[in-house]
Amino acid sequence: MSSTLRSLLISLLIIAGLTACGPEPIYDLSDDTYQLRDSDSTQVNFPKDFNGNISLVTFIYTNCPDVCPVITANMTNIQRELDDTSGVNFIEITFDPERDSPSVLKEYQDLYGLNEQFTMLTSHPNDSDALLDKLDIVAQKVTVDSLGYDSTNYAIRHSNTLYLMDKDGYIRAEYPAHRVKPEHVKDDINYLRSE
Amino acid sequence: MKPTKHLLLVILSSCFLFLGCGSESNSPNESDSKKEVVLGKIALDNAWARPGSKKGKSAAYLRISNATASTDTLLSFNSKAAQSIELHESIENADGTTSMRPAEQQIIPAGEKLQLQPGGLHLMLINLKRDLAVGDSLQISLEFARVGTISTTAPVQIQN
Repeated sequence: MSSTLRSLLISLLIIAGLTACGPEPIYDLSDDTYQLRDSDSTQVNFPKDFNGNISLVTFIYTNCPDVCPVITANMTNIQRELDDTSGVNFIEITFDPERDSPSVLKEYQDLYGLNEQFTMLTSHPNDSDALLDKLDIVAQKVTVDSLGYDSTNYAIRHSNTLYLMDKDGYIRAEYPAHRVKPEHVKDDINYLRSE
Repeated sequence: MKPTKHLLLVILSSCFLFLGCGSESNSPNESDSKKEVVLGKIALDNAWARPGSKKGKSAAYLRISNATASTDTLLSFNSKAAQSIELHESIENADGTTSMRPAEQQIIPAGEKLQLQPGGLHLMLINLKRDLAVGDSLQISLEFARVGTISTTAPVQIQN
């Protein structure tokens, strides 16, 4: 085999290999465990309890009057976009565990008609920062004077991110949660399914 | 017609015209006669509001179409369903985060539309006086500088 042909073959193999790998993990949660609670107050070990399935993970808070409902609506739009939703978890974690107790999350889940594929998660108010830090999520309490916000009545300046986590706990893609096209996420889910 | 009769008719017509003008200026509704006449109208449509709990907050959205020949300014908002309403906007910050702030007073040029929509400008309903559940509706009044107050009904619904 000539050296030129050998070089060409090696190049083709490298290109094929890169294409097959797809997106590299952005965050590695495979060895992490965050103890959270779902809307039934059941303890959840995140992300281990979701291993084996593909998960869409995003963050909201229920006192968010404008943008967070858009994020939730987009999650349901993605769910509708999928031809087959089996093996896919839809997870929403609150930025605001102080106010978003399991029962509050349950009300939110019922209000928005989120089915059993959705899991709403909260944490102990002091325990949530580790996961937020790991995923570079920003969540800062802010006050808007005209609203008369105080220590118990505040808004949150927050990241707006949707994560695609594979079945082993690796975050493989991230999107702007409120405006990513559902078909874009669907393509990535199908890609992970094909691995 | 003889010139004398013609002259008489002209004088009489002028008198009627003069008296007519005089009676208007002496009308008890003098202030009404000074009101600006606005041609066309401002229309509100596609109004809806998010669900919310009593004492909590909600957001409402609608489209404002200024079909008058003049620029108008949105001054204030009111609803019996909330203690107060403010115009807010959600913004994306340079670091990728999202936050909310009171919006500037909105001026709507003639022939233009102003869209209040999720993720952008919206009416913040503050300290709700009752629960807003899906299927309910609420009346929202918007006051404009030129055309005055216009009301619309906003059904409470979930965004799809």
